[in-house]
Amino acid sequence: MIGRGTAKGRRAAALVGLLGAPTLFLGIFFLGPLAIMFTYSWLEPGLYGGVVWNFYHLNYGRIFGWANTRYEQFDPAYLQIFARSVWLALCTVGLSLAICYPAAFWISRQPERRKNFFIFLITLPFFVSLIVRLFAWVLLLRPTGFINQALMALGIIDQPLEMIFTGFAVVVGMVYIFIPFMFLPLYASVEKLDMAMVEASFDLGAGRWQTFRRVILPMTLPGIVGGSIIVFIPSLGNFIVPSLLGGAKVLMIGNLIEQQFLSARNWPFGAALSMVVMATILVSLLLYVRQMTREERVTATPLNRQEA
Amino acid sequence: MKRYGGLSRLLSVYGFLFFAFIYAPIVLIVVFSFNANPVNMMIWDGFTLDWYRTIFGFPARLTESTLYVESTRQLYGAVRNSLLVALVASSVSTVFGTAIAIAVARFRFRLKSFYRAFMFMPMIMPDIVLGIALLIFFVSTGVKLSVYTIMIGHCTFLISYVFIVVSARIADMDEKLEEASADLGANSWQTFRRVTLPLILPGVIGGGLLAFIISMDDLVITYFIAGVDSTTLPVFIYGMLRRGIKPEINAIATIMLVFSIVVASAGLYLRARRK
Repeated sequence: MIGRGTAKGRRAAALVGLLGAPTLFLGIFFLGPLAIMFTYSWLEPGLYGGVVWNFYHLNYGRIFGWANTRYEQFDPAYLQIFARSVWLALCTVGLSLAICYPAAFWISRQPERRKNFFIFLITLPFFVSLIVRLFAWVLLLRPTGFINQALMALGIIDQPLEMIFTGFAVVVGMVYIFIPFMFLPLYASVEKLDMAMVEASFDLGAGRWQTFRRVILPMTLPGIVGGSIIVFIPSLGNFIVPSLLGGAKVLMIGNLIEQQFLSARNWPFGAALSMVVMATILVSLLLYVRQMTREERVTATPLNRQEA
Repeated sequence: MKRYGGLSRLLSVYGFLFFAFIYAPIVLIVVFSFNANPVNMMIWDGFTLDWYRTIFGFPARLTESTLYVESTRQLYGAVRNSLLVALVASSVSTVFGTAIAIAVARFRFRLKSFYRAFMFMPMIMPDIVLGIALLIFFVSTGVKLSVYTIMIGHCTFLISYVFIVVSARIADMDEKLEEASADLGANSWQTFRRVTLPLILPGVIGGGLLAFIISMDDLVITYFIAGVDSTTLPVFIYGMLRRGIKPEINAIATIMLVFSIVVASAGLYLRARRK
């Protein structure tokens, strides 16, 4: 950027030319809506939908417990739904991790060509319409669905199992759609794992469990944590999966928010619920970043010494 | 690797099960879309193309009037809306996303790290939060919900995807080529037009394709900001599913499946070959 004033001026003009329109667009249509939603969450709900422009903190009070008036009351059901969402999201993370971890090892040890083909096969469903993939699970899990029909035909059960509209169905559905999200970061870590280290651990007399616990697990931890956070975030606020596979029985926070907008018509309360979801996600991301930086500090020293 | 002989075999079995879990549900839809049983979709009762005939509005023996009279027209309308939205939204966000990516990679300015972090925001935000934020925004500013609001809504998050794909491409690029171009007397516009743009073009096209696919598939955000007569295909199917499961959905799903697998395979194959 050494140059005369005019060159500098031209560069500044180019920068404005590049950033001007997108910044304006995102400022109005991305930050604007978020700011309005934040404002709404502190406003009084109108009687027939809409808002009254008064400062109002009871939207949050209804969720966290200090609302205690004639019109607005604290209801533990909201925190319960929230806790259930966190729990189902954690189950989704756990199950998809359990499914993808061995698969990542298996694929990392295939010959190069086949490896690439397998990764292609895992990424492909990501491009298949979400609604189509979830529809498949509706067909599988319904009382008259494929699994029940098959089990009854085989004589294993004589009454259809109740699988759809349960927490189990929601978790299975979310695991199914988020498998590529978990697999790819996990695979990136497993692929880098040096098998010589594993051999060395065995040679030095460590058992299988010890080798896993002390060598394999720590070395693949970045992938595990990365995949987990990428799956956790969209699971927590999910709304399509519980609405198709959870029905009215397994409500998640996303469904509760939808209700506030499309049936209860209490927009400020829905906005407050959304802000709580956002806050949870930001906190978990912050924890992740802090954990990662600490992790780097801890592991960096001994590794550097080894290399030196 | 002799040591893991048994474990290896076990892993292979596991790998087979893993792919079965991923693909069996999809295969199931395709197979049962040809099932002639109108009462129970999951009991095989012979081969038929009637569900495909029904969705395209041709007379079929098995119709049992499950689709409503207008459905074929509504379905076509939804497909047209989806394509239109995806085309406009992916084009606009390709231009915007690429512009931000170039600015962040090649210019020095104070807000650079802000832009970089900001580009990840739409990706970490749950769809439903962005969807209702946009809904509140459009309603409170008095904008009528239509295909145009869907296009705007899609752009807000597609820009991020394009930005990430193009940024990765720029990072792979050799900066010396641009310096050489400047040394040889090209001005910055010429350098951009003749050197930078051709080099990042695969990334731009890739980002645009990704944006197109994501826009076509978006359900949650569209669900909140679609007007009454501006349904897209995923929202249309979601509505059908909520009214009840019908065999025709299998046929629609199969067509969508074939379409997305062909497009995605072609894209991924081209990218693999270029490398």
